Amino acid sequence: MSAFALAGGSFVRVHLRARLTLVMLVLIPAFFVLIFASVLGQFAKALGGTMAGEATSAISAGWAAAFLCGALAFFQVSSSRGADRRLAAAGLGALRVALARIAAAIVLGIVVSAVAFATLWARSGIAHPAHAAAAILAFALVYVGVGALIGSLVAGPLEGSLLVVLVFAVDVFSGPSMTSSGGVLSYGPSRDAATLLIAAGTGHGSPGGDWLAVAASVLVALAVALGAFWLAARSRA
Amino acid sequence: MSARAWTATAMGFREQRRRPLLLILLIVVPAYVVTRSIAITEPTPRRIGLPGGGTVLTTMKELHGAIMAGTAIAFVAGLCGVFVMHAALAGDRRLVLAGFRPGEAVRARLVVLAVDAVLVVAVSLLVTALYFTPASWPPFAAAAALIGLIYAPLGALLGAVLDKLSATYLMLFVVMTDIGIVQNPMFGDGTPGRLAPLLPAYGPTRVMVDGAYSAPFHATGPLLLSLAWTGALLLAVALLLRRAVATRG
Repeated sequence: MSAFALAGGSFVRVHLRARLTLVMLVLIPAFFVLIFASVLGQFAKALGGTMAGEATSAISAGWAAAFLCGALAFFQVSSSRGADRRLAAAGLGALRVALARIAAAIVLGIVVSAVAFATLWARSGIAHPAHAAAAILAFALVYVGVGALIGSLVAGPLEGSLLVVLVFAVDVFSGPSMTSSGGVLSYGPSRDAATLLIAAGTGHGSPGGDWLAVAASVLVALAVALGAFWLAARSRA
Repeated sequence: MSARAWTATAMGFREQRRRPLLLILLIVVPAYVVTRSIAITEPTPRRIGLPGGGTVLTTMKELHGAIMAGTAIAFVAGLCGVFVMHAALAGDRRLVLAGFRPGEAVRARLVVLAVDAVLVVAVSLLVTALYFTPASWPPFAAAAALIGLIYAPLGALLGAVLDKLSATYLMLFVVMTDIGIVQNPMFGDGTPGRLAPLLPAYGPTRVMVDGAYSAPFHATGPLLLSLAWTGALLLAVALLLRRAVATRG
């Protein structure tokens, strides 16, 4: 097995070995979808948004995946700097450490997204399952970028987790169909993924432009995450 | 308070002062969440149930302001609890080895946690006051403080038994479920459901709703329940921290 695969597998195992973290990664998206989907329509209506019915169930799955992956990526960067630097200095190199971290984050993002997707499907069914699955995964991967970026800039766990919460709150309040107000704050990081997910939840396909926008936001997020992991792993010497 | 306890408390505040971003976020997060939630909510009419059996016709906009203050306080105070507990478990045993009594080290941590919670409560109330005037400020403000005093030690307990990531996840989930949905009069028929009294924010949220919409006080039961939760959780955290930092042998 290559050193890269070994490191990536170890990074995944670090999280899955803590049983409670594994339980949270499975239970929280499931509960989030089951509990929040029932009230999100009322919430969106209170904010002057137009989202209702299946769209609210769908968006709850995306948000669950987003917050879990954002916090996960933040703690991946902030709490493993020392270990990553030693791994890089021991011969793996900063880029391969960063790629292994990204691979681990994507694997965990797929796990969280799969749970959220399965719960959504079991709860209310999905008109466009493939589109919804891709959109939920896009939420997760965009927040891997958000969490990793915050982790590269902020060392303190309390400050970092509060920043993840702040970005998440801005994003939730400004999501498409959630509010009638526009402005700069209506362009949150998960906006494109949300547009796709709402369309999939309500049984509409999305035009090519929406898919390109989601692909671009995911690629930018992963590039940012790669840069953050690389910065964290590179030697200061 | 002994000189050692003062020193430990002063060191705790010095550590906080060295992290200006933390202070900024303790102000910005509740301020943003409360301001934004009020700003974007429509003034749709909404009838809700009050403690004491009455009902009142209000708007979603007013209601959201009052409830979001509680949600922001609970989440930020809870996260402070999680990470203050982690810092205590990592560093305070060394203080005890160096000659501090466990109670002195624990008291210093609890004072720092309480001041963080007070800051978050003060910011949330100040921002709420810009947009919403409760019928009676004392119970409204007391309820906000009680939410902080319940969720900060609850976060500390989660921080003691879970790793940072799991505790952060659980904190978000518990706050959103408890205050964001179960106790929230914006949803359902405007009164908490049958299972709501089992959750920690039931008491303070009912006191908050009473203070928001009623000048006479009708929430003695919820207030006593809140005080019981606060006392039990603070006691549990003090005992846990004392046991955790005590040296063995």
